[in-house]
Amino acid sequence: MSVLGTLVRQLLRFGLYAGFQVLVVGQLPPLLGLGWCFLYLGFVLFLPLGTPISLQLLLGFGIGLAMDISYDTGGLHAAAAVLLAYLRPWVLRLLTPRDGYDAQDTVNVHQMGWQWFLVYLLLLVSIHHAAYFFLELGSFQHPLRTLARVGVSILFTSTALLIVQLLFSPVRRKRS
Amino acid sequence: MRNLIAFLLRFQGVMLFVLLEVVSLFLFVTNSSYQRAAFFNSANTYAGTLMARRTQVTDYFRLGELNKQLLADNAQLRQQLYPPDFARREADSLPVGRDTLGHLIYRHLRPDPSQALASAAGQAAAPTGKPRPAAPRPDTLLLGGAKLATRDVAYPLVPARVLNNSLRAVDNYLTLSVGTADGVQPGLGVLSANGVVGQVKSASAHYATVFSLLHSKMAIAAKIKRDGTFGSVKWPGEDYSHALLDYIPRQNRLAVGDSVVTSGYNAIFPEGVFVGTVESFVKEPDKNFWTVNVRLGVDFSRLTYVYVVHNRPRTERDSLEAALTAPEPTPAKAAKPTTPPNRPRR
Repeated sequence: MSVLGTLVRQLLRFGLYAGFQVLVVGQLPPLLGLGWCFLYLGFVLFLPLGTPISLQLLLGFGIGLAMDISYDTGGLHAAAAVLLAYLRPWVLRLLTPRDGYDAQDTVNVHQMGWQWFLVYLLLLVSIHHAAYFFLELGSFQHPLRTLARVGVSILFTSTALLIVQLLFSPVRRKRS
Repeated sequence: MRNLIAFLLRFQGVMLFVLLEVVSLFLFVTNSSYQRAAFFNSANTYAGTLMARRTQVTDYFRLGELNKQLLADNAQLRQQLYPPDFARREADSLPVGRDTLGHLIYRHLRPDPSQALASAAGQAAAPTGKPRPAAPRPDTLLLGGAKLATRDVAYPLVPARVLNNSLRAVDNYLTLSVGTADGVQPGLGVLSANGVVGQVKSASAHYATVFSLLHSKMAIAAKIKRDGTFGSVKWPGEDYSHALLDYIPRQNRLAVGDSVVTSGYNAIFPEGVFVGTVESFVKEPDKNFWTVNVRLGVDFSRLTYVYVVHNRPRTERDSLEAALTAPEPTPAKAAKPTTPPNRPRR
């Protein structure tokens, strides 16, 4: 795909994720009164595998700041999203399949398999949510309650992102 | 030089990461202060417009509920137009003492009815049969239990629609559909019909961001209505329907159901605006004050219409208090006349 095509495609994804988060998902009532859905993380999590690290960080910062502006959190979403974007290559390296990534590989539940995908998703979402909620509190005052919020939110976000994957990712024959 | 460039390229990820984290944490930490451009919050034009559109759409799905709320508010206001039967009655005499025989002495507050009739007859028929002028229309609005002037041109109550409202965060904010063009300034109080909502944080031309009462740094000067004990209402987090009332001395008596109203000490809200009712209170062994749990009057989960309130003496008071506390008042500020903030365009 040409550079321009990629750029337009990613801009479109940015708009869709941010718009859907602000207009629809953010308005959903919290799950069990605790959890919240961070659907916009899908934008960073499902970026192409070969994205340069600086670009990933900038995109993470961008979408985080967009959320901060919508939800009046200053830089909270941005800080957590930048952390997520920074750790993504590490997790990808950690989960490298035996024969390395193919050129066409993307973060896709059909291509990479359920096990790979779930580990990838849960690991990064957990790190992000733990960072987000403890940073928001600014202390470790109410550990149990905050952990409960983290846990329920992980469940909520992961389920939503899994649904996004199943609905919109192209089905291709699994690598043998 | 080449080495330097190579170094920068090699560690670009780490350095950019640290830089962006520092920027976002700086934005996060300074978020609660007023000295921020309205761009980095939801009062900015793009976010505000987006949320206004969203509200337009979602409102269609809750028109019934909105109408019911407005109806309840209207009923409450209308009730003030119909005062109870005894509201216009006044005592015609007061006991002022006893005479030597022990009989009460009354002083008539008004001329005797018979005398009044006689004098009226004496003055004859100049205003014959003219009905008494109707009672003036009410010029105050009862809002959260406190009377506020409705027809004060210089300081109007600004009605606003809540566009965005968060409950789940540690620090919650609201976005309102009014801005500086409507006369809203940072620092003004925000009320709803059921009580105190918050304080304006920043305002752009058409939108404003508000510190909700559900904010960790928000404290409202309050008092118990029954005996006037002063305290401070703070939100401890977690539950959006309850807050804590601090600084009520242990020797004071409390009762479940006491009204807590604003004291007017911090000049954001007028005195006597309803905050909530005392729900429970405990004495904790290591504290000098009661721990009072207050049930908030406002249901933050269904906040739709609110009012931004100007408090008249605020400018004057603030400048006076600033002059008292500041060691050397800056001449520019001291000489500044206490003019009202921007008049709304109407």
